[in-house]
Amino acid sequence: MELLQLAINGIALGAAYALVALGFVLTLKATGAVNFAQGDLVTAGGFLAVALAGLLPVPGILLLPIVVLAMAGIGLAVATLSWWPLRDRPPATMFISTIALGIVIQNGLNGVFGAEPRAAPPLFTGGHVEVFGAVVARQSLAILAVAAILIAGVHLLLGRTQLGRMLRATAQDRAVASALGIRTGAMVMLTFALAAALSGAAGLLLANRYFIAPTDGGGFIVKAYIAVVIGGWGRVGGALAGAMLVALFETIVAAWFDQAVATGLLYAALLAILAVRPRGLFGEATGRRA
Amino acid sequence: MLNSSVRRILAILAAIVLPAAALAEVPRIPVLVPVTGYLSLEGTAQRNGAIMALEADASVTFEVSDTGTSPEVAVTAMRRALRNTDVGVIVGPILGTQMLAMLPLAEEYQVPLVTISGTAQLTEMGNPWIFRFFPGDAVTKIAHARYVAEDVGAKRPAILYQSTAYGQSGHARLVEAFAALGIAPVYEESLDVATKDMTATLAKAMAAGPDVLVLHLHSGPTALVVRQARAQGIDIPIVAGSAMHQPSTAALLEPAELKGVCAESGSSPISGGSPEMEKFAADYRVKFGNEPDAFALAQYDAARMLLAARHAGATGGAPLRDWLAGNAFEGLAMTYKSDGKGNMAHDAVIVCYDGESRVPRIVRRYQGVDGGR
Amino acid sequence: MSGRLTRWLARDINAPVFVLALVLALWTVSSGDPYGLRLMTLAGIYALATIGYQFVFGHAGALSLAQGCFFGIGAYVAGMLALNPGVGVETTLPAATLAATVLAALVALPVLRLHSHYFALATLGIGQAVLLLAVNWVSVTGGANGIAGVPSASLLGIPLGRGWPMLLLVWTLVAAAALAARRLTGGWAGPALTLMREQPQAAEAAGIDIGRLRLGGFLLSAGFAGLAGALQLHTIRVVSPEVLEFPVMVSVLTIAVVGGRTSVAGAILGAVLLVHLPEWFRPLQEYYLLAYGVALMLCVAIAPSGLAGAALSLRRRLWTEPSPPLPAPMPVPVAAAPACLEVHGLTRHFGGVAAVDGIDLVVTPGEALGIVGANGSGKSTLLNLIAGAERPDAGSIAWGGRRVHRLSPDRIARAGIARTFQAIKLADGLSALDNVAAGDWRGRDLTRARGAATALLARLGIADIAWQPCGELPPGIRRHVEIARALIARPSLLLLDEPAAGLGAAERETLGSLLMDLHGDGMTLIVVEHDLDFLRRVAGRLVCLSGGRIVADGTPDTVVRHPAVVASWLGSPGAAGGADG
Repeated sequence: MELLQLAINGIALGAAYALVALGFVLTLKATGAVNFAQGDLVTAGGFLAVALAGLLPVPGILLLPIVVLAMAGIGLAVATLSWWPLRDRPPATMFISTIALGIVIQNGLNGVFGAEPRAAPPLFTGGHVEVFGAVVARQSLAILAVAAILIAGVHLLLGRTQLGRMLRATAQDRAVASALGIRTGAMVMLTFALAAALSGAAGLLLANRYFIAPTDGGGFIVKAYIAVVIGGWGRVGGALAGAMLVALFETIVAAWFDQAVATGLLYAALLAILAVRPRGLFGEATGRRA
Repeated sequence: MLNSSVRRILAILAAIVLPAAALAEVPRIPVLVPVTGYLSLEGTAQRNGAIMALEADASVTFEVSDTGTSPEVAVTAMRRALRNTDVGVIVGPILGTQMLAMLPLAEEYQVPLVTISGTAQLTEMGNPWIFRFFPGDAVTKIAHARYVAEDVGAKRPAILYQSTAYGQSGHARLVEAFAALGIAPVYEESLDVATKDMTATLAKAMAAGPDVLVLHLHSGPTALVVRQARAQGIDIPIVAGSAMHQPSTAALLEPAELKGVCAESGSSPISGGSPEMEKFAADYRVKFGNEPDAFALAQYDAARMLLAARHAGATGGAPLRDWLAGNAFEGLAMTYKSDGKGNMAHDAVIVCYDGESRVPRIVRRYQGVDGGR
Repeated sequence: MSGRLTRWLARDINAPVFVLALVLALWTVSSGDPYGLRLMTLAGIYALATIGYQFVFGHAGALSLAQGCFFGIGAYVAGMLALNPGVGVETTLPAATLAATVLAALVALPVLRLHSHYFALATLGIGQAVLLLAVNWVSVTGGANGIAGVPSASLLGIPLGRGWPMLLLVWTLVAAAALAARRLTGGWAGPALTLMREQPQAAEAAGIDIGRLRLGGFLLSAGFAGLAGALQLHTIRVVSPEVLEFPVMVSVLTIAVVGGRTSVAGAILGAVLLVHLPEWFRPLQEYYLLAYGVALMLCVAIAPSGLAGAALSLRRRLWTEPSPPLPAPMPVPVAAAPACLEVHGLTRHFGGVAAVDGIDLVVTPGEALGIVGANGSGKSTLLNLIAGAERPDAGSIAWGGRRVHRLSPDRIARAGIARTFQAIKLADGLSALDNVAAGDWRGRDLTRARGAATALLARLGIADIAWQPCGELPPGIRRHVEIARALIARPSLLLLDEPAAGLGAAERETLGSLLMDLHGDGMTLIVVEHDLDFLRRVAGRLVCLSGGRIVADGTPDTVVRHPAVVASWLGSPGAAGGADG
């Protein structure tokens, strides 16, 4: 029963991490560069939910659409500031620019909201239910459900819609997509919006059960980075699997070892995976990456 | 909240634009505290406490400077403060590793460093320039362990502590204090601040059959453990470290979750106890828009002792050091007096939550725990 | 005098940046106040770490995230040593440098073969693992509290106070590091490193051992970081896990990007600027880091190629410099006795498809062999296998009796086999001259390499574009530059992958004559081409591939009439255009 409880918590955490990793990988495929502010966008989404809850005392699920839309707008701003001026530069340039943006977001939140951790409202209600004898937080189940719906939505958007096809074409090869008449600049901007929206949603989901503080972004970005690399650079499905693996290390592996040992084992596993499979556990989707 | 931020930004901009010469006559006390990074919650409380005391006295002024989270930044900030030749005293950060880096400079420049950092090592370096106004780990952890043993009556504590300087330093003292009481912890684990899910840790701790959970964690992780423990139906008492007494920690939890939760601290300003304390809390709320904690109060008391020394003629340097080392001061939280090593605070309190409100009650006071007064 | 100054400013990229850094330094230090000295000392420490970082990040082009880790290792090692009485910087600095280098050498083997972001994450993982160790191995590292009470630094028993002595020590080491970096990356190494960074495959094919250069860069970067970390320890006299956390790494990376990835002067200016920038915003209190972030974003947006790059383009705008004169041509001797190439049962699969399927082929010394075949018939794969860019699944390749099919491309190149690529691989930022000079792995002397390159470009009739950046050249000329680079290594076997593609009739004529000349000098040629007329002129023997097998082999006239060739030829869409897929 205990294992079941750990597994459900781990998978719920993994689902939220997966949203962050998904946003990370989408931007990465579209721009070829790392958005290091992705973790701080999670924090921003969490604090947005906290601020909205102060104005509108409603369950989190009703705040979710507002957070998602507002974060999409922030994503456009991120693209305008940190990608557009640097679009023809080596990837490390955007890396630095987004690190700087992360500093701005983190210290902006710290200045406006203060340093104390905050809690967002639960998605539906608080409390717990029994599932096959294991006590599980309702919020964990709700995180799982909402994250699954969002991921499925992204999957449909990318796979089944004209917009999704254009987004994918842009991610695959910007030059070719441009030759096909796709407005690739707009597509990359939209990718940033989508990535920020997903991160914001993750922020809202995490900020109830796990609280949120302005300095939390660093932890999220490292986890997303690990998830994406384990899963194979540029693979959407791999990123999900990687996120689950990271979360399971945090819950299930930590049930047998000390937290510090579990974290150490995660890095050891990461290095071992890279030593044996230099292009990630599930291989690389695209042949070359700058 | 937004308004106060905007006002503060305007005040800061004004401070940059307006010539500083007008203030040249009045000595500036540098307040070097972490107002960014993971300790900015405590650092901001420190700053607010110092501001409360220093603003009330027209004979001094002050300058707040961030120390961030690294010794490197703290030393740079201190160098910057020492540009003014008339610096007589410096308010130092709560972060122990930063204080350790600042100590040699204080000695070199003969400037007393006043802090609320709990790191035990600080006053064990034989440096006569440090004065600590918050009970150090040597005090609070004895109170912590004694409360667990004597009042809770527990014999089998499980200890969870943070893998930071704060956590490791406190953990070492806690284990010593338990050993002195003839108690051996049944479980000990160090937690990273980024750990979100405590289920696994709690399951392992409970498997050891403890009769009390003893926490020595920062604010967010303390609230996470309390909430997840209660969610898993763990109903043994929880005696937490000082982070639990911070109103912002309690704000993360429902009052019902707080039932049976206690915490050690140097004081608890929101718990009242005297008209002066209530006035302090009320003034603090008005000025900063949030609740004061023991760190703010300790820094407030420390700054007021500095002012008392000033009015007694000890304005800085060696005279101030000698005055601080040789005099007692009746603060709001407790009476402060050096033990000869710079430890000024020797009292601790235990606060408990009743399950109905987020304001804890002081259930026990431990005075002169280390025999230093 | 002023003429000389102008020339100096115009010639040396780094000069204006140096001047700016000097002015800034004088300005901060002139007051002599401890705060100014402290900032300049800190800037020197970060400049040192960044000059080191440029070896791996700038020159080798690998985004390492372990520089902060090596910095921290240096600080810890120096701290532990300096706790012992009487141990001075003459011990701690070399020990810290060595410790960081040794750690880098230990992790280099598994890590250096990783590419791009995998490398970045693996190095980040190493940093995190070391941090975890520093926090939890309390008995050795002092845990999260670290090590305090380190006595003030001394050099050979002479105490070094804070302030001036430390500043001088740090900046002396910065100057030494700057000189070392210029020596190590100047001369022939400059163009060779650029080629390796921009076109690693081309660099390997030109005989450059990129594995060794990457390793060298990684070890040097670690050593410099360890040294910088030790100096940081001596300035603050405590060491705690914060030194291993991400901010140090971010600072170094930021300085490298803001200053300039490969410019030593950029690293110094970047360090001076980045250390002072947050200090200027100090009065903003808790918003000062926000202002710092905004300033950083602006800096990257305004000067994306760094301050050194911005200074360079500004200088180009202010002084229109004439191209330097061409170096005196130096003779390019033909290689020693050519060898025999023997291919047996060579097979290479991609997925389930056999791209090359049991090929047997012998090319005798001095022969000129043409290879034809439809798209996807295995021509390029065969060349790649011979050049070492691909490993065969079965079969063998012998060159002069020595089995070479397991060798890396650079070793094959050094054995005397040079090649060109179907898709031209040149470093766009380098001049045509330096693209060619980079291939002179034998001489490793820039003056001589440029002389030889001039001779080769003149022989190809393109000496007039010698100083132009390759990115600005038309495709036909780029192909010639690539051939010149292959020739500078004096190969005895030259592999050409569709050399005539994209060339006009006149250019084909010149290229044809050149190949005839080379053949006349005794060089063995293998030419993959679609243009049969071209091949008829150049090649004495033709083989035709289809489905990864040789379907025809003989003189050009017989092979062209072979039924299998005609069949595959007519079915090939590439027959007319000559663009292989």
